[in-house]
Amino acid sequence: MGESLPRVPRGSQHPSNTLSRPVQTLRVKMVLLGSSGVGKSSLALRFGKDQFKSSSPTVGCAYLTQVVHLNDVTLRFEIWDTAGQEKYHSVTPLYYRGAHAALLVYDISKKETFIRAQVWLKELERHYVPGSTVIWLVGNKGDLTEDRQVSAQEAQSLANEKGLSFTETSALSGDQVTELLQALAHRVYECIGAQQGGLSEWREPSLVTLHHKDTSNPLASCCKVGP
Amino acid sequence: MSQRTERRGIHVDQSDLLCKKGCGYYGNAAWQGLCSKCWREEYQRVRQKQIQDDWALAEKLQREEEAAYASSQGVQSHSQSTPPQQPPGHTSLGPFSKFEEKKTNEKTRKVTTVKKFFSPSSRSASKKETQEGKSPSPSISRHASFDTDQVSRDFVDFLKNLQKTGREIHKQCRAFIMNMSSKKDLSAEELSECVQDFYQSMADRLMSHFKGSSDSVEQVMDQVEKYIMTRLYKSVFCPETTDDEKKDLATQDRIRALHWVTIQMLCVSMDEEIPEVSENVDKAITDIIEMDSKRVPRDKLACITRCSKHIFSAIRITKNEPASADDFLPALIYIVLKANPPRLQSNIQYITRFCNPSRLMTGEDGYYFTNLCCAAAFIEKLDAQSLNLSPEEFERYMSGQASPRFSSSEGDWPHSGHGVTATNPVLAQLNHNLELLSGLSSRQETLMESARSLQADLLSWPDTVQREVNDILEKYPLEVRSCTVSAIDANNMDNDNLPPPLTPQVFAG
Repeated sequence: MGESLPRVPRGSQHPSNTLSRPVQTLRVKMVLLGSSGVGKSSLALRFGKDQFKSSSPTVGCAYLTQVVHLNDVTLRFEIWDTAGQEKYHSVTPLYYRGAHAALLVYDISKKETFIRAQVWLKELERHYVPGSTVIWLVGNKGDLTEDRQVSAQEAQSLANEKGLSFTETSALSGDQVTELLQALAHRVYECIGAQQGGLSEWREPSLVTLHHKDTSNPLASCCKVGP
Repeated sequence: MSQRTERRGIHVDQSDLLCKKGCGYYGNAAWQGLCSKCWREEYQRVRQKQIQDDWALAEKLQREEEAAYASSQGVQSHSQSTPPQQPPGHTSLGPFSKFEEKKTNEKTRKVTTVKKFFSPSSRSASKKETQEGKSPSPSISRHASFDTDQVSRDFVDFLKNLQKTGREIHKQCRAFIMNMSSKKDLSAEELSECVQDFYQSMADRLMSHFKGSSDSVEQVMDQVEKYIMTRLYKSVFCPETTDDEKKDLATQDRIRALHWVTIQMLCVSMDEEIPEVSENVDKAITDIIEMDSKRVPRDKLACITRCSKHIFSAIRITKNEPASADDFLPALIYIVLKANPPRLQSNIQYITRFCNPSRLMTGEDGYYFTNLCCAAAFIEKLDAQSLNLSPEEFERYMSGQASPRFSSSEGDWPHSGHGVTATNPVLAQLNHNLELLSGLSSRQETLMESARSLQADLLSWPDTVQREVNDILEKYPLEVRSCTVSAIDANNMDNDNLPPPLTPQVFAG
């Protein structure tokens, strides 16, 4: 909602002074990986919650966007949910091609989802050089403490070993979700945004087209409609 | 009575059957009443003329395009308020002539395909053409069809607003298309690289021209993409240098072989009995099929996105909550299996090669396109495990020895008959159709029976008649009386009372 405000005057301003732009919006592709039932989509919905006003009504939560404001930049997260069923595992690499961030989600009350997350991690490492993608280990369903099967220490030590970040969240209560996205945004901007051409700029699709802006011959556009 | 009138209707005069040219042979309605020989002659003539007309039209449009440019430039430098002059000949092209033009184009297109089939060295021939046709008129104009003309005109209209830059862009694009048309022998990857390089250099130039206003660059690039890809579509879509076509056929066969896969096997959460859901499913299928008819990569992507949105609505209606990727991908796979979209692999390849890459990696369109790629890859690899079947079952279904619907209700088939019809509208329809068919077949049987008995009756009828005649003849044998053969007036009683016959008398004098 706020992200469009600084952009509107800039479009009509002098476009030459690229350096003095107030806020730049960069696009970040983030994939959610994890077994089905770990709450990837609920997490995605939580991420996208605050944005309901500016986006069109959601029919699905497989693709969502969320804007995060940092000090000197705005990141627009494009959240790609993936099918978690094991049978689709072989096609998942297509999803994380070109991703800037990957969230490895597991359910703290189900040990096997944690093991699956490690399988995904191996897969990711095979395709990517470290540093080009920020990988974040996320233990979801943090509210189910009495059924916990994966301890926070266990996950943390895995994260340390592989050089990942780790957070436990609860998509149900919303605990740690905003914090996770904020931290992720910082991390992505630090690691990738700094590189030249690491992130591409996102532009608000403007409703005013060149056709309508230039009113020198209004007939030209209406004549061509007829046969 | 009625039979007689019908027969009169069918009756054809002998002269109507003969060739209209009057060569004495029989004609054929499919050849417009001509005989095969005359038809071939006639057709050749018309075809030649069409090809020539088409050529002329293409050249004319080319000239128009240039004229439109020149005039727009002129007008814009003189006065901003007057609308640009219509290019010469533009006004004369009324709606009907446009229709004619389309028709001719369609015909010639067919002709060229046929030609392509028959000439073994179509590629070398086209190369020669490009070399010959370089200076007077670009060979690309030969491919100009209704769509491309429209796109070219739109492109010119769009660029008019950019004045001098527009002219420059147009020149570059045309040069690029010309250049591409001479590179038909390159592999698809090289062609893709050429196009991507062109996009890149064009975008860079525009960026420096618009001084960083990326909105305008984006817009111009969209138009450039539309123009270039519409023009190049025929030569770069499913090119002969790749095995795209083979892959298309393989995928098509694969999907056909998987016709038995049910919505339950894929664990799709869509309930097609809800009318709204099945409506969305139908729309999704239509959209994914429509993709093949678009030329611009962006338009193809838009079809995929529309299809995906319909799937999301269908899932949402069924489950009453927003669909996640866990639901979406199986549903998309199901839609692809049901739709069997034409040239699926070629379309995927074409989009991957010639679409702006940033659009594929990120953004909503990119997400749905990725899902479609996943669906295609999954269908290729689909096996028993991915449908939760045993390998034996899978094999049996694949070979067509068994069908999942029958085997599932094999045990209690007699009673489940009603249950099935009640629950599944498709099965109900099927049963209804089967009933109709069996009724029809029994009626056909009866008809055949009576026809046969009629035939037998007819065959025996002359015999019966013969027999009856013989019987009658036997019963009343023909009695020949000798006296009846005597002179007519033999037994005339009054004979004697008659005066004697006149005898000729000779009068003297």
